[in-house]
Amino acid sequence: MNYEINMHLNEIAVIRLFGELDHHETEKIRAHISKTILQGNLTTIIWNLERLNFMDSSGIGLILGRMRELSTVNGQTFILNPSNTMKKIFQFSGLASYMMEGTEADAILHARGIVNG
Amino acid sequence: MDNEMTLSFVAISENESLARMAITSFVAQLDPTIDELSEFKTIVSEAVSNAIIHGYDEDGKGIVTVHAVRDGDLVSVAVKDNGKGIFDVKKAMEPLFTSKAELERSGMGFTIMESFADNLQVESEPNVGTVVTFSKKFYSVKMPQIS
Repeated sequence: MNYEINMHLNEIAVIRLFGELDHHETEKIRAHISKTILQGNLTTIIWNLERLNFMDSSGIGLILGRMRELSTVNGQTFILNPSNTMKKIFQFSGLASYMMEGTEADAILHARGIVNG
Repeated sequence: MDNEMTLSFVAISENESLARMAITSFVAQLDPTIDELSEFKTIVSEAVSNAIIHGYDEDGKGIVTVHAVRDGDLVSVAVKDNGKGIFDVKKAMEPLFTSKAELERSGMGFTIMESFADNLQVESEPNVGTVVTFSKKFYSVKMPQIS
């Protein structure tokens, strides 16, 4: 399990997850992701799951937890490139509306539109 | 019965990936599709995580056992712990219910397991332990028979 965080304009965090995300891995990375994204004036988190090979309900906990942290600033969340199985897990969990078709660049533009609008 | 395996390990979270890896190899003979395999791994991951986190509070001492049987295209699995048990199974299986919100557990584990498995049973007794049993039929992509 590995991840990368890229900040755009100090407002948008793009988080790329790699490998397998389960309870064990989530516990290892959660605090660091949380600390990193809460620096700056964050309004949007874009999760890119393109290279995530596996995710169970721990992934839901990780994403929901960060959504909660963003809720004080009415933040936005976008989920890109989930596998078919991940799509189902997001649907069961009520997160289907946060999935977005498109690239990171599309999501960033979309987020900035909302930010500036 | 075509194949059978038993895997036992102590209740530490790094064994979640061990269980997924073993079960992935166990069903490899069936040439599962990517989606079948990832759904199957997800069920096992949820059940094993529950046993480690909730059954034993990650004490590193309790033993989790994964027992799997393959019969043709049908694979049956039992994930067993001798941990603290579930006091109200019906409540535990409700979507979004979690006893460990502080760990950011989403409460979606049983809902996901029930959705991905063909059938799923949870038997639990307080201070005795929990057994989650489920089965899944693999349809896979079969090579066309050339006659």
